[in-house]
Amino acid sequence: MASLNTFGAILTFAIDLETQLRDYYQAAGEGRRAEDADKRRVKMERVRRENVLEITLEAIEGLSEADYALNLADTSAGGKQAVEVVAARFYADVAPKLNVRVAQRALERCGKEHESLAAG
Amino acid sequence: MVKRLKNYVGGEWVESTATEYTPVVNPATCETLAECPESTRKDVDKAVQAAQEGFVEWRQTPGLNRAQYMYRFKALLEERFEDISRVVVEENGKTIDEARGEVRRGIESVDYAAGIPFLMRNDGTEDISSGIDETTIRQPAGVFAAITPFNFPMMVPLWFLPTAITCGNTYVVKPSPQTPLSMELVYELLDELDLPEGVVNLVHGGKDAALAVMEHPGITGVSFVGSTPVAKIIYETCTRNGKRVQAQGGAKNYIAVMPDADMTASVKNIMGAAYGCAGQRCLAAAVVVAVGDSYEKLRDELVRQSKDLRVGYGLDETTQIGTVISGAAKERIERMIAQGEKEGAKVILDGRKLQVSGYEQGTFVGPTILDDVTVKMGVAREEIFGPVLAIMRADNFDEAVDIINGSHFGNASSIFTSNGKYAREFKYRVNAGNIGINIGVAAPSASFPFGGQKDSFFGDLHGQGSDSIEFFTERKIIIERWI
Repeated sequence: MASLNTFGAILTFAIDLETQLRDYYQAAGEGRRAEDADKRRVKMERVRRENVLEITLEAIEGLSEADYALNLADTSAGGKQAVEVVAARFYADVAPKLNVRVAQRALERCGKEHESLAAG
Repeated sequence: MVKRLKNYVGGEWVESTATEYTPVVNPATCETLAECPESTRKDVDKAVQAAQEGFVEWRQTPGLNRAQYMYRFKALLEERFEDISRVVVEENGKTIDEARGEVRRGIESVDYAAGIPFLMRNDGTEDISSGIDETTIRQPAGVFAAITPFNFPMMVPLWFLPTAITCGNTYVVKPSPQTPLSMELVYELLDELDLPEGVVNLVHGGKDAALAVMEHPGITGVSFVGSTPVAKIIYETCTRNGKRVQAQGGAKNYIAVMPDADMTASVKNIMGAAYGCAGQRCLAAAVVVAVGDSYEKLRDELVRQSKDLRVGYGLDETTQIGTVISGAAKERIERMIAQGEKEGAKVILDGRKLQVSGYEQGTFVGPTILDDVTVKMGVAREEIFGPVLAIMRADNFDEAVDIINGSHFGNASSIFTSNGKYAREFKYRVNAGNIGINIGVAAPSASFPFGGQKDSFFGDLHGQGSDSIEFFTERKIIIERWI
C-alpha cells in the first residue's frame, strides 16, 4: 500500500475515499448520504486545486493508505458505521499533517461530518 | 505519427514555415510527445504584425471589459486545472503536486490582472500653478513578448501575459522548445475567450525565434526568464534594439541556519526548497550555511530526511522528486557533483546513477548532499540546477552574511532562526532580491514584484506586481489650463 507522503497524495486519497462512499451509499439506496459524499469529493478537489503552493510543499511522514481501507462489501447498519469510523479517523489523522490552515480546516470539517454519521 | 505543433497567430492556429523540428520528450518515459517547430524570423514577423493590428482595437477596449476576459480565463483554467498539471508533468518531469502548484501560481497572476481597472489608475494634483492642473495617465505601450524557460512552462508566461494584455497591450509568447505543450493548452483556452484577433500570439521555436523577437522593431518590450549568460545576451540585444527589457537570470541561493532554529521543521522546509522541481528552479536552495554549533545536527537531520525522499515518475502522487529535464542536464549535474568531489567536498548523500523501476531510461538524479564545501569550490559558486545541496560552515552570523554576499548571484536567500534580531539583520544586510525568513523558497506572490539582484537580474523593472504595471504601460503627464 502506498504511503500518504505528499499534499497531493492525501487529497487524492480523500477524493477517492469520498467517491467510494458515494458509490457505496448509492448502491445501498442511501441517496442523501451519497449526495453528501459527492459534495465532500467536490470540496476535496477544490482544496487540492486551491491550496497547493511551492512555498508550502513539504514531505509528509507517518501515514499509509493501508490504515484507512474501507470494507465496502458490508452495507448493514454496522458496516455503514464502520466505514464512517474509518473515514473520520482518516481526516482526524491527516488534517494536522498539512501545513496549510485552509486545507486543514476543510479536512477537519469533513472529519466532523463523518464522526457524526458514525455516531448515528 | 507524432503531433507537430502549430503557432497561434492572429486568432488562429497556423503552420510554421520551419524546416526543422525539436522533439518534445517526456523525461521520465522518454516518449516523444510532439514535435516543436523551430519557427523562423518570418513566423515571428507574422505574429508581431498580427499583434500590431490587434493593438489598435484592443487598446480602446475599456479596462473593465479587458478584465472580464480574465474572469473567463480563470474559470477555464480552473476547469482544466488537472489536465494542465498533467501536461506540465509529462513535458517537464516535475511531480504532480509541483505542477499543481505551478498552475495555481499561474492562475494567481490572472487573478491579479483582473484588478486592472484599479491597478491602472493614476493620480493628479489641482492648481500646481494658478488655474493649472496636472495629472498622469497610463497608456498601453504596444506589442510585448516573453521568452520563457522549461522549468515553469505554464507559470512563467502567465507572470507576464495577463497583466500585459489587461493593460491594453498585445502579446507574443515564445515558450521553451523543450516544454511547449502546456502553453499550447493554455492558448487553446485563450482561443475560447474570443479575444480580438492578434491580442495573444504564440510562436514556438528556439534561438532563431528568440533572436527575431529581440530584434523585431515592432516589439516594445521583452520579458525573459532563464540562465544568467542568456539573460545577459537578451538584455544587451534588446536594449541595443531600443526595447525595454526585464531579464531574470540564474541563481545560487544560500540558506543560513542558526543554532536556535527548530531543526526538524527547518530541515523539512529546506528539503522542499532544495529538491522541489528536482532543484531546477531559480529559487532552489543550493547552499545551506550552518552557523556555529548548528552544523552537526543540521547535517544529520538533512541526511536523515533526504535519503527517504521518493524519486519517481511525477504522475505518481507519492513521488517527491521527479526527473531533471533531459539526459544532457543529468550528465551536467553529475559532472558538477564529481567536480565538487575533486575539489574536496564530501558526497554524504549520492543521487547519481539512480535507477527508477519501470522508468530505467528516465533522467532521474536523486537527492544529493555535498559536505565540507568552501567558498572557493565551483559547487559553491556556480548554479548546478539540480537536486544537489551543498553544506558550508560559518562560525557566526556575520561570517554567514559575508559568505552569502560574496556570491555573484542575488536571486534569493533565507534564514532559519527563532531570533528576531538575526531575522531583522538578515533581511537588512543580505544582498538578494527575495528574502525568506523561515521559508526556503522565497517566492513572491503575484501582487509583489519578483526580486533579483546582481547577476540574477538585468533590467530596471521586475516581473509581477506594481513593477509589471510600470513595465507594460507608458505614463503620460497632462498639464492643463482652460483659458
